[in-house]
Amino acid sequence: MAVDADDAVATAAVAGPQIRIRGAVKSFSGRVVVDVDDLVLGDQPIEGLIGPNGAGKTTLMRMVMHSIPLDRGTVSLLSPGGGEVVLSDLSAYRMAHHGVVKSNQVIMDFDKLTIWDSLLLAATERSNERPHRIFGEEEAAFVRHEDEMRRHLEYFGFTDPMGFARSAGEKKLLDIVRCLLLQPRFLLLDEPTAGLPDELTDKVTRVIRELAAAGTSVVIVEHDLNVIWNLCAEVSFMAEGRVILKGNPQMIREHRTVVEKYLGEGHV
Amino acid sequence: MNLDWLDAFLISGLFEVVMVIGLGLLLHLELGLARIANFGVVGFWGLGMYTFGITYVKIDWPFGDPMQFLVCAVIATLAAGLSGWLVGWLIADQDTDGVLVGTLGFATVVLILATTQQDLTGGALGMGGLGFPYDIGTVKANELLWLLITASIVALILFFVWRVHRSPYGRLLIAIGSNEPLARSLGKPTYRTKLWLFAIASAAMGLLGAMYGVMVRFLEIANLGVEITLAAMVGLVLGGTVRVWGAVVGVFLTVGLFDILIQSYIPFPREWYTQAIPVLREAVFGATLIVVLLFRPLGVLGDMRRDKLMRKLHGR
Repeated sequence: MAVDADDAVATAAVAGPQIRIRGAVKSFSGRVVVDVDDLVLGDQPIEGLIGPNGAGKTTLMRMVMHSIPLDRGTVSLLSPGGGEVVLSDLSAYRMAHHGVVKSNQVIMDFDKLTIWDSLLLAATERSNERPHRIFGEEEAAFVRHEDEMRRHLEYFGFTDPMGFARSAGEKKLLDIVRCLLLQPRFLLLDEPTAGLPDELTDKVTRVIRELAAAGTSVVIVEHDLNVIWNLCAEVSFMAEGRVILKGNPQMIREHRTVVEKYLGEGHV
Repeated sequence: MNLDWLDAFLISGLFEVVMVIGLGLLLHLELGLARIANFGVVGFWGLGMYTFGITYVKIDWPFGDPMQFLVCAVIATLAAGLSGWLVGWLIADQDTDGVLVGTLGFATVVLILATTQQDLTGGALGMGGLGFPYDIGTVKANELLWLLITASIVALILFFVWRVHRSPYGRLLIAIGSNEPLARSLGKPTYRTKLWLFAIASAAMGLLGAMYGVMVRFLEIANLGVEITLAAMVGLVLGGTVRVWGAVVGVFLTVGLFDILIQSYIPFPREWYTQAIPVLREAVFGATLIVVLLFRPLGVLGDMRRDKLMRKLHGR
């Protein structure tokens, strides 16, 4: 967590993977909520996705993660080396195995698990979570991941990691830390700073910059537009289920359509 | 060995307690941790019992006991495990209602098969020919030894459950029970995990069914009613669904109190034992379930204390 917070857009040291969404359509009760013809995410290390409520941003993110199935279309992960994995053919749980990870818009937590538990769950390898592996694996997993977990917990100021996450803010941060422990190659963050105080918002943005600099592609869905303008090198604008515009933050924030449909006059 | 001091009813009562504790512990893994509401415990238990009985009695094995018992018990365990895998395949991604209907339906299928396949099971007439895989003297001595062997198996199940709570596997089960979509988003194969848990627990239930078959030595379809499932469920809920020792405490407080204390040591009129008491038992168990769920839904032992456990395991 050593990268200084500044307003400069992060530049990746390593080219990150991309996600390509083609002909992706999702309807609920006959109403089309997402209809994306061809969209590539990950052209830049940190990209933003903005739009008014109901534009379909969160639904699109969930379609990428296959947590809701597509009516038609494909979502693929394109590696910098040229490999392609069709994510929309995979089960939802296999996204994380390919490094595609998403934080949640609404607060999501395991009510029976402590903070330590929650982080150990994210960090522990699948091979150690089998019914015959019940003797030394807990201690081994803790030893292997303790330093990394402590680093994140101290950075975000968790005071009692042996206890349960109590506040909405703690649960929000815990969600982000779980994502970090999964070693993401492509990280989707759905309103990662919603409800967080300024100090923690700054910490989250620093972490995002550091990840991007290390080669992780990051896409942020956010209503706090300062986060978007400060972090993102490219921004997509969604309305009524479609990606209407894509470009640099300056172009997007000044574009007539964005001002009319989302920002309102006098925003710039 | 002189066992005159030992009441035969006490041995059978304790056997019932030990066996239901075993079923309650397995149900704890399914319901308490992974939130799979298995209402068909008796189906897997009964399938194990009858598979053991059929293979033991109907097949002319080239070897005798104890090898015959071991082979038949393994077949019964595998059959129950396979049926658990198949039922799990159907219900693992269903909601609670689907799981409830699927498991209850399976238990009903087992009851109907046991009733109708008279050539194999004896149907309503029952099935004899079973016996202990050893003979150490009197029936009472044989039964006592069988109680100790079964108690050892249940102790192993208890140890397994205790270890599961202290392992990444247990954490995964709790995570699936708490928030399955979130666990899936962390890369956890939730469907497969539930499927294998169901298969393994069903296999162990089948083994306990086989052990019961040896103890009673005569299989009756009356055993395949709701009583076994209800006893395991009520005991677990009363003791604490999410606690390791929940099934142990709860089953002693229900089956233990009723089957040992009331049935064996309180002098009710003799005719009550055949008709009134079994009905009263189910009524009391049902009422206990309602009262516990209303006033102490987490049972006598209360909620899971992962914070305490984490401090114990990793607090340094």
